[in-house]
Amino acid sequence: MLNKKYIKFLFLLLLTYKKKHLSVFVISTVIVAVLTSTLFISSAIQKDIYITLDGQADFTIQRYKAGKVLNTPESWIDEFLDIDGVSQVQGRIYGMHFYEPAETYFMIVGVDLFDQEVSANLKKLINGIDIDKFLARDNMIIGSDVKKFFDEYQYKGSYSFRPPDRSIKKVYIYDTFPKDSNIVSSDMIIMDKDLARKILGVEDGYVTDIVLEVPNPKEREMVRQKLIISHFNARIIQKKDIKRYYKNLFNYKGGVFLTLYIIVLITFLLILYQRYSLISQNDSKEIALLRSMGWRIDSVIYLKVAENFFVAFGAYLSGVIIAYIYVFFLDAPLLKNIFLGYTNLAHDVSFTPNINNTDLGIIFLVFIIPFLVAIIIPAWQKATIEPTEIMR
Amino acid sequence: MIEIKSLNKKFKNYQALKDINLHIDGGEFVILNGISGSGKTTLLSIIGAIMKPTSGAVEVSGENIVSLSDFHASNYRSTMVGFVTQSFHLFDELSVEDNLFVPLVITNLSDDEVATRIEDAMSVANISHKAQQKTKNLSGGEKQRTVIARALVNKPQIILCDEPTANLDLDNSLKFIEIIKRLKEMKKTIVVATHDPLFSKLSCVDRVINIKEGSLE
Repeated sequence: MLNKKYIKFLFLLLLTYKKKHLSVFVISTVIVAVLTSTLFISSAIQKDIYITLDGQADFTIQRYKAGKVLNTPESWIDEFLDIDGVSQVQGRIYGMHFYEPAETYFMIVGVDLFDQEVSANLKKLINGIDIDKFLARDNMIIGSDVKKFFDEYQYKGSYSFRPPDRSIKKVYIYDTFPKDSNIVSSDMIIMDKDLARKILGVEDGYVTDIVLEVPNPKEREMVRQKLIISHFNARIIQKKDIKRYYKNLFNYKGGVFLTLYIIVLITFLLILYQRYSLISQNDSKEIALLRSMGWRIDSVIYLKVAENFFVAFGAYLSGVIIAYIYVFFLDAPLLKNIFLGYTNLAHDVSFTPNINNTDLGIIFLVFIIPFLVAIIIPAWQKATIEPTEIMR
Repeated sequence: MIEIKSLNKKFKNYQALKDINLHIDGGEFVILNGISGSGKTTLLSIIGAIMKPTSGAVEVSGENIVSLSDFHASNYRSTMVGFVTQSFHLFDELSVEDNLFVPLVITNLSDDEVATRIEDAMSVANISHKAQQKTKNLSGGEKQRTVIARALVNKPQIILCDEPTANLDLDNSLKFIEIIKRLKEMKKTIVVATHDPLFSKLSCVDRVINIKEGSLE
């Protein structure tokens, strides 16, 4: 069937009737581009967040009182070290800083630069830093979003924090995290632990929370029980809970998009079906004409499928390429904020390409097959009718 | 060549053909003469295997085309029959040459053979000079000659013409008749359904068959 003459005729039709296919091609490209962008963003965020979460401690313990999180006594660290199976217990100093000019929050994280057991994520961010130079005065490393806001209000070399004791603490900008380091670091400020303690007003003998590792997964449940027993007012967060939270969050957002996509796709296919079954008299005449000249039903359907496959496949390829440029070169304006939210900063992040071939394959099938079915059914209906109209 | 036996065609409540019995020899030029609605087009459609009768048989070279499967009926239309219609039914956006290429797409002919066939058909129909022109830009007479060329391109034995001069002026009608004469010389079996008096005066016509209200007279 697919001989040279057939291909020649196919391209002859495609080129001759390019205007007819243009609107379908454009709409299809937009649909594929939107869906693929959604998947690209979702995959990139998930990858970044999962990588970040993988670097998180197995357990995070916070002190609670009357439903509010309080600073946690450092003395708990020694208690936790006595629990079998527990390692790398650390007190963390961090908190939110309200940046008044932009009415937004930054995350201040205090780091003990000499601590060998600092978390894997922070290690990555401060890797290669000249510690002596960094500690020579009050310095900080800021995320790309923080830099953007500082620049906007002319805080070029330093910024003055107002700790709770009403003093003024000037901190110099030592460096900026690369834009593509990861999503979590974009609104982050890293500084020495003691400096962070002062700015955030965390009293001596207390930390914001405590993190610990339990290398053996089978011991984690037992450790959790012991932590609960030792401190009834402790809130224990496990890495798996955080992962589950993010997974649900992205499944929810992805699900909303998928639902919208399906609605759009069905609407589009109905239009397509209607176009081929009711509106396009030319297509009907064309099929009847071919049939009267000896074309078999399968030859006609094959031609229509091939003709529209080129349109659909072209739209699919264009849609994927546009989505790639939109997400990974232009940083997905609009869609990015829907996924990342406006709760803290309007994120100024770059997505790391994380192309999932299975997802692309699913889009291909979910798009191309219904597209072709919407063509095949009316084409088949027309082809099976006696082409006598052509004789009138 | 063509043997029609007890042919009937009914559309819902309307009997278009009533017990038609007809024999047409190979190479014969037959005029089906009748007014509009007499059943001429229906009869041609059945002979051309683009319509099934309600009952009866149409044997072409001994084979009953009425009972052919779609595969074989399509093959019959492709190789045995050429249609010339009054409303042209061309691919308007394609050139004359490309329109003639359409019936050949489904054949196993080589590129050279395809080119030769198109060339020959255009030559017989006297439309070679318009080969590259889109058919939408042709005059009525030129369109009709393109349709004839397309009907000939598969070298069919039977040429079926349905009111071929209905949309042509006298000059173009005469040109059409000249082409038909050449087809007759080529020993084609020609059936022309028409009520144009020009045809009944032709010396090359072997028979004029009158059809009225679905019956042969």
